[in-house]
Amino acid sequence: MIQLKNIDKYYDARFQRTFVLKGVNLDINQGEFVSIMGPSGAGKSTLLNIIGFLDEPNEGEYLFLDQPANQLKEKQKVQYHRSHIGFIFQAFHLIEEMNVYENIETPLVYRGVKGKERKAMVADMLDRFNIVAKKDLFPSQLSGGQQQLVAIARAIVGSPKLLLADEPTGNLHSEQGQMIMELLKKLNDEGMTIIQVTHSEENAKYGNRIVRLKDGYLKEDE
Amino acid sequence: MVLKVVLRNLQKHPFLNLVKVIGLGLALTGILFIALFLKNELTYDSYHQKSARTYRYTSTDPDFFSGKHFARIVNPGYIHEMSDALPELEEFVRLRPVRGGLIKYDQRYYKVAQAFECDSTFFNVFDAEMLMGNKETVLENPASMVITQSFAQKVFGDKNPVGEVLTLPSGQYYGEDQDFTIAGVMKDFPANSHFHSDFVATPLADQFTNGWAWTYLVLAENTTVENVKAGIFDYLKNNNETNPEEMDTEVHLQKISDIHLNSHKLREIEENSNIRNVYVLAIAAFILLLISISNYANLNIGMSGFSAKYLFINKLLGSSKSAVVKYFFFEGICILAAALFFTVLLSVPVNAAIVRFYQLNLLAGNSTTIFLLVLAFSLLTLVLGMLPVLKSVFSSIRLGGNRGSAVAVHRNGVSRVLIVFQYAFSIALIITVIVISRQTNYALKNSMGVQQNNVICFESVHASIQQKFAVLKAELLQYNSIESVSAMLEPPGGEANDMFPFEMEDYETEDPDRNFESIGVFPCDYSFPSIFNLQFLAGTNFSENNKDNEGSGEYIINKAAMKRLRYSNPEDIVGKDFKLIFSSPGSGITIPKGKIIGVVEDFHLSSLRKQVEPLVLFKRDKLWLLNFVVSVKAGMKDEALADMRKVWNELFPEYPFQYEHVDALYKRVYKTELLQARLLSVFTLIALFICSMGLFGLALIITQNRTKEIGVRKVNGARVSEIITLLNKDYMKWVALAFVIACPAAWFAMDKWLENFAYKTPLSWWIFVLAGILALGIALFTVSLQSFRAASRNPVEALRYE
Repeated sequence: MIQLKNIDKYYDARFQRTFVLKGVNLDINQGEFVSIMGPSGAGKSTLLNIIGFLDEPNEGEYLFLDQPANQLKEKQKVQYHRSHIGFIFQAFHLIEEMNVYENIETPLVYRGVKGKERKAMVADMLDRFNIVAKKDLFPSQLSGGQQQLVAIARAIVGSPKLLLADEPTGNLHSEQGQMIMELLKKLNDEGMTIIQVTHSEENAKYGNRIVRLKDGYLKEDE
Repeated sequence: MVLKVVLRNLQKHPFLNLVKVIGLGLALTGILFIALFLKNELTYDSYHQKSARTYRYTSTDPDFFSGKHFARIVNPGYIHEMSDALPELEEFVRLRPVRGGLIKYDQRYYKVAQAFECDSTFFNVFDAEMLMGNKETVLENPASMVITQSFAQKVFGDKNPVGEVLTLPSGQYYGEDQDFTIAGVMKDFPANSHFHSDFVATPLADQFTNGWAWTYLVLAENTTVENVKAGIFDYLKNNNETNPEEMDTEVHLQKISDIHLNSHKLREIEENSNIRNVYVLAIAAFILLLISISNYANLNIGMSGFSAKYLFINKLLGSSKSAVVKYFFFEGICILAAALFFTVLLSVPVNAAIVRFYQLNLLAGNSTTIFLLVLAFSLLTLVLGMLPVLKSVFSSIRLGGNRGSAVAVHRNGVSRVLIVFQYAFSIALIITVIVISRQTNYALKNSMGVQQNNVICFESVHASIQQKFAVLKAELLQYNSIESVSAMLEPPGGEANDMFPFEMEDYETEDPDRNFESIGVFPCDYSFPSIFNLQFLAGTNFSENNKDNEGSGEYIINKAAMKRLRYSNPEDIVGKDFKLIFSSPGSGITIPKGKIIGVVEDFHLSSLRKQVEPLVLFKRDKLWLLNFVVSVKAGMKDEALADMRKVWNELFPEYPFQYEHVDALYKRVYKTELLQARLLSVFTLIALFICSMGLFGLALIITQNRTKEIGVRKVNGARVSEIITLLNKDYMKWVALAFVIACPAAWFAMDKWLENFAYKTPLSWWIFVLAGILALGIALFTVSLQSFRAASRNPVEALRYE
């Protein structure tokens, strides 16, 4: 599904080039649950952003579903965002101006799903995550764990093939974190490919593969 | 759905959005009224059907009043034959002012502000809507009169005026009573006409042979102005001159639509405006437009940070670029709609005020123009307000990564340029307002009799009142409240155009072939120099009577006249024999031969725009003393006015008691400048307000973006004052840069503007410094409010914020 070949990502300062990623090679197959680990500044998030078309590598080749990413037009990337990739963040990133229902509904609107169908799909999500009662609340009225639930609901409502999670439990206490990880595990069991960035060995174990990054190099692939 | 989010987002920042709305609303209101006013100015007299072919005919001759250019021509009896002789002329009309200012109906006198005796062709040249009577025939007969609706209302009320007789009373101007029969009623002349007469009337007999008349010619189609000019020139040469070869008369034709803005001749029907005003206002409107739109765009850029996260997440969820555009478009529409609403709210009272003070209803009948203006403004605002935001948003969504980072305003070049530019214009406007107000004040202060602030004038009183001047003076002086009474040919602020030939001891004419040269004259009552505090350079004041015997005539000259008579030391010219020659056969008027008894410093009877002309003051009794002036004792104005009314009503019960304060007369002279100063101060205030609000908003955004930085600095020991300095430093740099840009531009513009005046205030350096300090002060005040709040906040709060 995902093939990264010799990926370089760097920033040019005045006299020196700082590498964030250097010669990264990585293959991820459909249905895997990969945990990217490493110390701060290792390039974990950058790698995730490249995979999610939020950033572009300076060198190297990235194939998504056997398509070279550097040849993708802006429109195709938008298409992938609409139908193939879902995101979850440490800081939840819900839209403050929208209530729970609207937040979950937004990606469906962009995919052009019809109103009636949309209603059914959102209702299904609310039901599944047990947050029906909270559908009219705004993000600021929810706890962190609830917010992350909504964020996951939003990410998966369109049943993407790939879910990218950037430290999804980073802002949660352990109990809530555990609940979220269980949920991800369940989604993976249902067939969704998941790539998560995490600091926690414990959380990494929910996945079936761990990738370690240090100073931009892919160090270990168990 | 987008709209819902937009509305929720707008509610989250009510203050900043209000700033946007008020800024745009104020600017739109300003621009709307300026544009409508300019439209009114630029369309003067173009409503006449034949406007494009109608010209006002004037002529100048170096031998006639030293080549002064009058708006009307003298002795226009020949126009009729000339028109017959020249096929290029289709039509003509002559307008002779109805003088005396009063008309009688049913034993009562009514004031006439402006009226003409005209040829029967009046309505062939000028358009007017008839309410009663037929345009083609109303003026066919001599002594027929067509009055305007408002004049009819004033004199007759609801009565039908047609067939009634109005009488011009006999007096100085008319040997006997003249009766006119009203044949029609027309609508009032529109605001954009260069005359607004109360009535037009055909004369009893052909009275156009003598005197002055404004003369308008309609050119035939397919002819050129040059052709007609040449034709008129040849006609004059062959018919009027005794010495055709030496004729140096110049013929002038001015399009009537050019009169209002481009004519500055002597004896215009009404005080005209000036094309410079149009430029000044157009520039002001343009500046307002630039400032408001740049301010709006600036705030948009600053606030785009607030929606950055929303837009970023939407991108993740698969929104396309068009959704971003849609978002900002809806936001713009909302703000604009609110601004339009605000404009409507503002326009009603503003228009009411303009109607009240200037009798000008700018909103009436202009709906298409208004619609187009609003539409253009809306589109401009929408597009120009969105472009920079979209530019910065698109670039920041790409680069900002998953932090959904706000657009960093303090590092944004566009904003800085816009702020500097706004402040540059504001500073330039402040300078302009100071200079124009100073110059207008200077002109008013230096005008004759204004500084005393106790002189009251009766303008152009009726001939029978003039005859009783001595009685009035004697009566008035009995009252304790009255200080002095005088009379003179021209009112304060009038034009002293009359010139008489003169003879003087030891004076030789420049051209030895000519016996006489002419000099400006000013007949007055003996107390004229004292009532206006004229400064004597040498010699003495008039003796206290108005009649001189032959041989002992008294002449007082001004400094300009002294130079004109080729003297440099006032002491030397006092005592010289002098004589004015008045030649009007049969009038029986002579001016006694006498001596120059005094020299006074130049005084500004007329506008300071013009150089003071040489002037010879001499006394007359019961002749040429058309305007009375009365000075009252300090602090007794009300009492004096009551006394004057009493005396007036005793002496002249049938005439209305109408007076003006001298400063009001001069304000009329500087009407244009005063209007400019007033309008510009309003615009400056609006501009400054918009700028300050914009800056306030930006400061709010910037300090918000720097909350964490401020918190960290405080935790590390920075004092509040240090933080404020840190935050304010940038703004000071901007204003300083704006100052550097504004000064030369303002200096150049004001230097040009001051060229309107022969006497002017200097462009002192302190004006510029003051404007700069003012702008800086306002900017600092605005920004410091924010900075202080940000700096004095508990740093823990700020850091918890992340």
